[in-house]
Amino acid sequence: MAAPAQTSLVDLFVARATEAAAKVERIGRSAADVRAAVTRATDGLRSFVVADGDHIPAEVFNSLRTIPRVIPKPTDDQLSTADAGITEAFAGVARTGSIVIAMGPPLRSTASLLMPLHIALLPVDRIVLRPRELFEPKGIGKEALGRNLVFATGPSATADMGPLVRGVHGPHRVHILVLE
Amino acid sequence: MAAPATSTSQYDAPRAVAIKRDKRTLLRAIRMALGIESAAVRRNTQTFNRNRYREAAALADYDALKDEARAIKERAINNLPDLLITLEGAVRARGGQLYIASTAADACRYILGVCQAHNAKLVVKGKSITSEEIRLNHTLQGAGIEVAESDLAEFILQVADEQPSHNVAPAMHYSTERISALFKRKFSTSEPLETGEELTKFARERLRQKFLNADVGFTGANLIAADTGTLMLVESEGNIRMSSVLPPVHISLAGIEKVIPSRTEMGVFLELLALSFNGKLSSYTSFLSPPLDDAPFALSGRPRKRREFHLVLVDNGRRKMRQDPVLQESLYCIRCSACMNSCANFQTVGGHAFGGEAYVGGIGGAWEAGTGTLENARFSDLCTGCSRCVNNCPVRIDIPWLNEVLRDRLNRASAGSPLASLLGVTALVRGDDRRASAQKIFFANYHWYAKWGARMHGLSNGMIRNGLARRLMQAAVGVDARRELPPFPARTLVRAARELSAPVRVGKRAKVVLFADVYTNFGLPERGIATIKVLRALGADVVVSDAIPEGRAALSQGMIATAKKHARHTADALLRYLDEGRDIIVVEPSALAMFRRDYRHLLADATRFDLLRTRSFDPLEYAARLITSSGRPANDWFDVAHSPVGPRLFLHSHCQQKTMGGAAPTETLLREIGFDVATSDVECCGMAGSFGYKKEYYEMSMAVADDLYGQVQAAEASGAGGVRALVASGTSCTEQLHSGLGRPVLHPIELLAAILKA
Repeated sequence: MAAPAQTSLVDLFVARATEAAAKVERIGRSAADVRAAVTRATDGLRSFVVADGDHIPAEVFNSLRTIPRVIPKPTDDQLSTADAGITEAFAGVARTGSIVIAMGPPLRSTASLLMPLHIALLPVDRIVLRPRELFEPKGIGKEALGRNLVFATGPSATADMGPLVRGVHGPHRVHILVLE
Repeated sequence: MAAPATSTSQYDAPRAVAIKRDKRTLLRAIRMALGIESAAVRRNTQTFNRNRYREAAALADYDALKDEARAIKERAINNLPDLLITLEGAVRARGGQLYIASTAADACRYILGVCQAHNAKLVVKGKSITSEEIRLNHTLQGAGIEVAESDLAEFILQVADEQPSHNVAPAMHYSTERISALFKRKFSTSEPLETGEELTKFARERLRQKFLNADVGFTGANLIAADTGTLMLVESEGNIRMSSVLPPVHISLAGIEKVIPSRTEMGVFLELLALSFNGKLSSYTSFLSPPLDDAPFALSGRPRKRREFHLVLVDNGRRKMRQDPVLQESLYCIRCSACMNSCANFQTVGGHAFGGEAYVGGIGGAWEAGTGTLENARFSDLCTGCSRCVNNCPVRIDIPWLNEVLRDRLNRASAGSPLASLLGVTALVRGDDRRASAQKIFFANYHWYAKWGARMHGLSNGMIRNGLARRLMQAAVGVDARRELPPFPARTLVRAARELSAPVRVGKRAKVVLFADVYTNFGLPERGIATIKVLRALGADVVVSDAIPEGRAALSQGMIATAKKHARHTADALLRYLDEGRDIIVVEPSALAMFRRDYRHLLADATRFDLLRTRSFDPLEYAARLITSSGRPANDWFDVAHSPVGPRLFLHSHCQQKTMGGAAPTETLLREIGFDVATSDVECCGMAGSFGYKKEYYEMSMAVADDLYGQVQAAEASGAGGVRALVASGTSCTEQLHSGLGRPVLHPIELLAAILKA
């Protein structure tokens, strides 16, 4: 695929995810770059957890686990009180600014749900334009069709109490690191 | 800002008026809704609606997506028995259970059984309208199981003991102030409970403990894929994720109609549903094929169990709906709420008045009738057939038609009355339709009374203006005494057209027949005369048809046999003109909409419908065509400087005209000529044909119209220039504008006739 198309996809993704009240940063994909970004993003937090990934190399997650405030093998009690969870994003959807979380490897469903802050690592080459591409049996969709997925667009939100309130049962803040 | 203190004790509780088997209960519900809930409902539905319009306009392939979704649902409902077999295999293969419950009680019994098998004390529950339909909470709580509604709206409703008032935002009838007052009354806490943030925090913290300690997680399902057993779960708060991911047991409940063939088809619905959640994807949409692979959540001290998944699909009348040639269409509904958000009546009273125990809005009548009894659909009387929902439905359900058919069935199920029979016989109503109320028969056959009224117009107009006669009308046929029926003209359109001086030069550029619709002919013939003048000036050869009822009035009262008769006679008469090469011009938009939309259901012959549909036009739409095809500018014929009302207009487009796409040509042409046009964006004026004339709906109709009056005033207040002349194409819109603002209202064609260059 032509490079310019991918560039505009990223730009659109960043714009839409930001509109949806996520924080988005574009960073390098090396373990050191990711570790530095996550260290900054979790500054001031007491504890956080790191889930495993499918597509991002294991060394990236291993290096994240060397950050001092990480709980290496959290119990469910610890999960319920941690400040942040870090997961891989299976994909990103440019048009809606969504990240897609695939469940499966330990913690990924809870680390993207239970904590006030969710930090998602999204490889830049896994951004698609439209939601429905993840339902077509080709490309990234072929893998998507076999997984349990959540399309997450910004933090949890409600307008049931009147005004729009961000931060309900799911994460109150979403920080997406796009790995380029 | 605090809302003014309202005493709510004078109104019924929503639960007390949830089931509306008789009109009295419906009217009590309307009174309650107008008194307490209207402001919040209007604000919230209109916000949903505006956002939806904006995003839908930006979606280039919106219509293609709707076609795809419709086709998928048609296929799914057609092949439902096979799909259920496929689905059962898919759920079993993953280690889950599928149970198909034939009735509500059967579904409740099964779910209770699963809970009891696990010795469950606490069930956390995501929002599920189907669970309201089967009254699940009642069963579980009756067995001593705690049910924690975890969607914040459902949490509010559980605290208040009220039924949902909307599909997507079931507590949208609550303002922040009212939630604050409710929580303060029901909870003893030192936490602040004033703002949306504070109320959310309070509910969130209480529910967090429920999620972490629940024995069973319960969810609905927006769609289910037969091939993989995948559930689609749409939400914004994260409570459905919690309910489906954390507890060891997951029970999902849905109607059998939610099953579609394949997971690959879910993407279309994901994109369409996004439009209904403020135009964006809602925060979370999960696609799960349970049971999930990882271990369920367990705080220390709680047993670590194996995951278990039960999918409960309920029939409860749906298989019968599937066999019903009309109600079948309602099974395509994906409960997106676009129909109710775009409905002016719903915006004004919400789902506690325009709805039943579980299902609300325009689509709600079919569902309450299908899953309950026909009488439960009494509230569908609030559907005026304005048709604003039609283009908004992502699966293209013809919701007005569903409600007209329900009304027809309700008419037939009622006992009828001696007055109704008498009226029916005199007005030659089809025997089958004579069981409708006297009021319905009167409005359905207005043409008949109008004919006699016009023949004796001096006497009849005296009666219309006479207070005693008006009170009699109110008592006998329910025409509100505060309304004036349109006075009968000295000359009907048909007579006046005969007396028009012959055109100087017979038009050669086009041949048309002006359909003498009942409202123009017996009410506002000057609009027809203006049409003749303008089209002749533009070079058309214009003749006028006989005055024939086209069936709108009968259709809107649910008297379908009569409407079909009217449609057949009208088609017979007009097809002769079509054979002569004449196009059909229709002044009254609700009559034009019959030819363009409703005759699909009323004429047995599809080719006749197609002919009428494609060759009938609004006067300005047709004028614009003639001007365009001439290659000359509109100002060759019209001079805005001659406008008797000046160049500043407020144009209110008719609801059905907007649905047909006929509003835009009028607006464009007026601007082209040089008018300064402000427009309303209300969905409907609230008169909606006969609706606002009926004594029981007068207050509601005026409450709907407040929006329109407000927009006129706002347009006149903004910028310099002040007053704008009121322009409207619909007869009933004209009456509604006139009665609320006390000013004359012109049809745009009258304006064009007045500024024709000599």
